[in-house]
Amino acid sequence: MNPAPNPVERVFRNAGVSGWLHAVDIDSGREVGLRADEPVVLASVFKVPLLLELHRQAERGLLDLAERVRVTSADRTGGGTGLAAMLDDATLSLRDLAYLMMAVSDNAAADVLLARVGRESVNALLDGLGLTATRVVHDCRDMLTSLWVDAGVADQAAVTQACADPEVVARLRALDPARSNRSTPREMTRLLAMIWRDEAAGEASCAAIRRLMALQVWPHRLASGFPFDDVAVSGKTGTLPTLRNEVGVVEYPDGGRYAVAVFTRSLSTAQNQPRADAAIGTAARTAIDQLRTHI
Amino acid sequence: MDLVRHLGYFLVVTEELHFGNAAARLGMAQPPLSQRIRRLEEELGVRLFERSSRRVALTEAGRLLVPEAREIVARVERMRDLMSDLARGDSAVVRAGVPADLGAAVLAALIAGFRDRRPDVRLSLTEMGTAAQVAALLEGRLDVGLLRHPVAANGLAYGPVLVRHPGVLLAEGDELTAWATVHLGDLAGRDLVLFPRDAEPGLYDDTLATCRRGGFVPADIICTDRVEFALGLVLSGTAVAFGVPADMPGVVWRPLAGTPLAWRCTPAWRAEPGPYVRDFTAVAVQVLKGSAGMVDEGAPPPPRVAPRPATGFLA
Repeated sequence: MNPAPNPVERVFRNAGVSGWLHAVDIDSGREVGLRADEPVVLASVFKVPLLLELHRQAERGLLDLAERVRVTSADRTGGGTGLAAMLDDATLSLRDLAYLMMAVSDNAAADVLLARVGRESVNALLDGLGLTATRVVHDCRDMLTSLWVDAGVADQAAVTQACADPEVVARLRALDPARSNRSTPREMTRLLAMIWRDEAAGEASCAAIRRLMALQVWPHRLASGFPFDDVAVSGKTGTLPTLRNEVGVVEYPDGGRYAVAVFTRSLSTAQNQPRADAAIGTAARTAIDQLRTHI
Repeated sequence: MDLVRHLGYFLVVTEELHFGNAAARLGMAQPPLSQRIRRLEEELGVRLFERSSRRVALTEAGRLLVPEAREIVARVERMRDLMSDLARGDSAVVRAGVPADLGAAVLAALIAGFRDRRPDVRLSLTEMGTAAQVAALLEGRLDVGLLRHPVAANGLAYGPVLVRHPGVLLAEGDELTAWATVHLGDLAGRDLVLFPRDAEPGLYDDTLATCRRGGFVPADIICTDRVEFALGLVLSGTAVAFGVPADMPGVVWRPLAGTPLAWRCTPAWRAEPGPYVRDFTAVAVQVLKGSAGMVDEGAPPPPRVAPRPATGFLA
């Protein structure tokens, strides 16, 4: 064991998680990384490139963001938030579905949007941006189904129970970057930096994406590291058994803005681990602090 | 009539509130003193005292006249002193007030700078807080002062405003020293050592209001204007303090994110600045920029609040 691990590594160890991190100063390009080029499972973080492709297709006139879509209760993807947790049919515009997908990580909304823009279109967009380690290989429904199959159970409640068993968790394909939606911390911060610099799409599209990421409600991960009224945090979480992720941008009152991507895997299979959640914020602040030290 | 001399009599009577005692203090008989006060009342067209057989009391007009009379008398005395010094061949004096925490190097540079510019004029420095300086300037006991903002005083004129942004002083080994920049909110629950409110009421209130806005409500506030005492408390880990980097082993300085605190300093004087006051102001501005790390006041960054969806309103 390294007697003096770097400060970011120390944060992860104290919280009982393995961690992957990349942070970059969006304007100067200064960076801090920990296993930043290793493949990681995105979980719901894949909704960021999906949102980008949705806006790019709107820019090209392939779809209208104000178009209304009926999401029936019968065939919607499950999940704990948004339409995925609601019981009745709903009709929303594409961009309001995108809002639910980003603000509360609504799986049903995400799958409607992914079906609309096409999985291969998202991957083509990623290729065009040079993000070749980032791939979307399935939607939320396929991923959840793989969990049921791999755990040998028939419904979501049983998956939750089964995933308390480390042996079950060990055989979940969804947790294998080679067989799941994947990226690297560095590619995620590159994507975010391009969105914040208006390079990933047109200015209006990038502004709309930034707005949605700022509307995310979760305060327990990235935002927990910045309990300050004058610091803005915009992000997207990702969660699967033992996995806790968040990528986002932190903007300081002096104008400094930093893209950061944090991926963690817990040694424990416990569902509720506030310390592991908070470690994402603490690690991000530690990394950003290093970027701000030698200005 | 000699208005200044009559105002002097008036002031003695207001201090004694007894014509006999006032006359004795002035080394004169009571009837001529009473007569002079009456002439002053005639001159001004108001009654200054309510007289009864038992007591003498100021009228409303009399109360209003007191501070004005004090200032006129003091300034005339000051003028006479200056002129008589010059007549005797003594050097002129400019009396300046400076804040307590300028530091030895800055004070030395201030004195040397003024001496270079005006070798014939003596600079008399007094260490004073803003509140005391305002009073002394208004009463004519100081010619010029270096005040801290915000200050509310009618009748003063101000020179250029200089500013520096204090950071936070922490004990070595404090967990917050792990951060390159510290947010005010990080200090939550700490004790704060701060200058006394009596000395700097405006800056004291302003500082605490900014701290509260930034999420730092000090558990306790320990007031001292002695830098060594403040550093001792910081060194012991008892409290944190705001300030400039301290040259003391064991004390670590960190900037505050967003530079929320601003210590503004400005030369101030009463009425028209004389040539010596202008010289002092020029030297002070130069020294504060050169030796005390201050800069011209730019537009202060507006405080910002970045709201989040799960905080604030009905979420």
